[in-house]
Amino acid sequence: MRPPLVPVLTLVLSCALALTGCSAQQDGGLKTADRDIEPAPGCGERSWTDPARTGENRSPARCEAGAPAPRKLKKTRALTIATSTLTAEYVAPLQIAIREGEFAREGLDVELKVLPTPEALPLLAKGEIDALWAAPEAAVVNGINSGFDIRWVAGNFSPAPKSKSGLWVRLRKDEKPTSVSLADRKIATLIGKGSVISYPMDTLLSEHGADMESMSFRQLGSSDVLTALTSGAVDAAWLLDPVWRRVEDDRKYTFLGGQPPGEPLGGALFGPGLLSADVDAGVALLRAYIRTINTYFAGDYKKDPAFVAELAKILKQDPKVITAVPALRMDWEIRKGTTDRLQKAYRDAGVTEGEPVPEARLVDRRLYAEAVGHEP
Amino acid sequence: MSTLQTPHSSEGRLVRRPGPHEKAPESTHRRRRALELSLAVAVPLVLVLLWQLAATQQWIDERVYPAPSAILADGWERAAEGDLWPDVWATLKRVLAGYLLGTVAGYLLGLLMGALPLVRAALEPMMDALYVVPKLALLPIFLNMFGLGEGPQVALVAATVFFFVWISTMAAVLAVPEGHRDAGRVFGAGHWQMFRHVLLPASLPSVLVGARIAAGVAVLVIVASESIAASDGLGHLIFDSRALFQNDVMFVGIVCVAALGVLFSELVRLAGRLLTPWAPRDRGRGQS
Repeated sequence: MRPPLVPVLTLVLSCALALTGCSAQQDGGLKTADRDIEPAPGCGERSWTDPARTGENRSPARCEAGAPAPRKLKKTRALTIATSTLTAEYVAPLQIAIREGEFAREGLDVELKVLPTPEALPLLAKGEIDALWAAPEAAVVNGINSGFDIRWVAGNFSPAPKSKSGLWVRLRKDEKPTSVSLADRKIATLIGKGSVISYPMDTLLSEHGADMESMSFRQLGSSDVLTALTSGAVDAAWLLDPVWRRVEDDRKYTFLGGQPPGEPLGGALFGPGLLSADVDAGVALLRAYIRTINTYFAGDYKKDPAFVAELAKILKQDPKVITAVPALRMDWEIRKGTTDRLQKAYRDAGVTEGEPVPEARLVDRRLYAEAVGHEP
Repeated sequence: MSTLQTPHSSEGRLVRRPGPHEKAPESTHRRRRALELSLAVAVPLVLVLLWQLAATQQWIDERVYPAPSAILADGWERAAEGDLWPDVWATLKRVLAGYLLGTVAGYLLGLLMGALPLVRAALEPMMDALYVVPKLALLPIFLNMFGLGEGPQVALVAATVFFFVWISTMAAVLAVPEGHRDAGRVFGAGHWQMFRHVLLPASLPSVLVGARIAAGVAVLVIVASESIAASDGLGHLIFDSRALFQNDVMFVGIVCVAALGVLFSELVRLAGRLLTPWAPRDRGRGQS
């Protein structure tokens, strides 16, 4: 006897619809609060800066070289960190930390995996990877908004004052660098409106009579961005290190600005594994990272040719490319309000929806505070 | 179905009784069509319902794989607010323009190479070499040639479609039986008449099969291309929303691409039926 098709389908449909709405997202509480913070020898007052301070005059926090000292975990913990690239300079502290055994001294066995942020986010939330070396991009905000337990727990860098990585514009006839208008002009970028550069871009556009919504953005490959600018296909371009060097001395182009000084826009993102299940390992990871910065990246690390050669080797780049631009200011701290400013830019660009996520749901400074022995 | 019965006598006679399709061919055919139609609707519907069930029961992570109801609601909202149509239209324009260019160019060259052995000898090795180049790899070249506008996208679709139509046309012309050409010659057909009354009707059904395959591939390649170098279109929508972790929007884009592909392919099939009424009917899926 043939099963009646319509009743069977109706039954399946009814079951599915009845079950709709029965779900509830899990929201595990984070356990980084209420931990005992012990002083870290070698990390004094300079190891913590007021999160409200930003700007060119702010010096990044520092401890003495070799500090904070390692506190080896009782049992070796394997950690996987995802990063979208292994050749960018901001990833160098991780690579140096592995090479110099800083993670191993904490009892961590760290593996770096190349994975773009959108693919890494669900894996981070599920605990299949432990950390993501990226930035609080629009994708991260949307992920947290949809219920992912992810926090931005450490910064990465801010550009050197002499850096001209940022928005370059081709001057029109009779246009002066001081009176550039960006209204209705085309901009080429390597990364889209959902990246953290939306924030400085939003600021620069409003300073020059334009806004994110009205601009025409072209997302292109790294080499194509410069080609598009020089060929006249676009009017402006966000040029990264060291590409901006190619137009620096050409009077046809002018630099409008870049990432805000003294304000890191990226760094480490942790998932529930290091935020709740094994906070000790999370603190150990940041302690090793901070120690690596204090030991190897505290100042102008490009002055030492031997270190530059080592960097060139691990980043698989030509030493000349590395020395072509000033050293980054490695900075493990997160500024107050950065995520609010980022979210404003994302909303202006139309890449996030809903109410802004409060900073407390996006940022957790307690892990790096514990690593340097600071009671927040 | 007819039945064969075991011989009842030593003479070994074969007794064949008429089956239902012979006793009542009309109703059997109707039942069969109804079953096929039910299956065509029920299988995707059951899969979608299972997906809905899995999402709502959290067997799968709804944040990563949104429920069909969420995708439908989001798509409806975007369509109602007019956010979806600019991307659909941008992709459609590129596909249609590229498809038209590629089909015309592929048909003309295929005809020429199929009809003239010397042209075939001169061009076939080079065309074969170009055929195997992944067309997406040509995008940077088209970007340099045509700049950042619509040119590279249209050229990429045209290049992809061209090869499918070219190969099927050349093969179809070569496969026209010599007897058909002889008949044309006997009746004193000139070049145009030979093309109009012999080559075209004999080759067109195969050409249209190639054109229908190319229709699907055109949609496929434009989505990939828009993800790399476009600021609108369904491909851009899919990959941009993926980068922004807006998975419901991404799935809306995927559903739109699937619908566009099916619609476009069916339109080409329909055009084929109208253009070649003499050809055996292309029944497509499991229709009996």
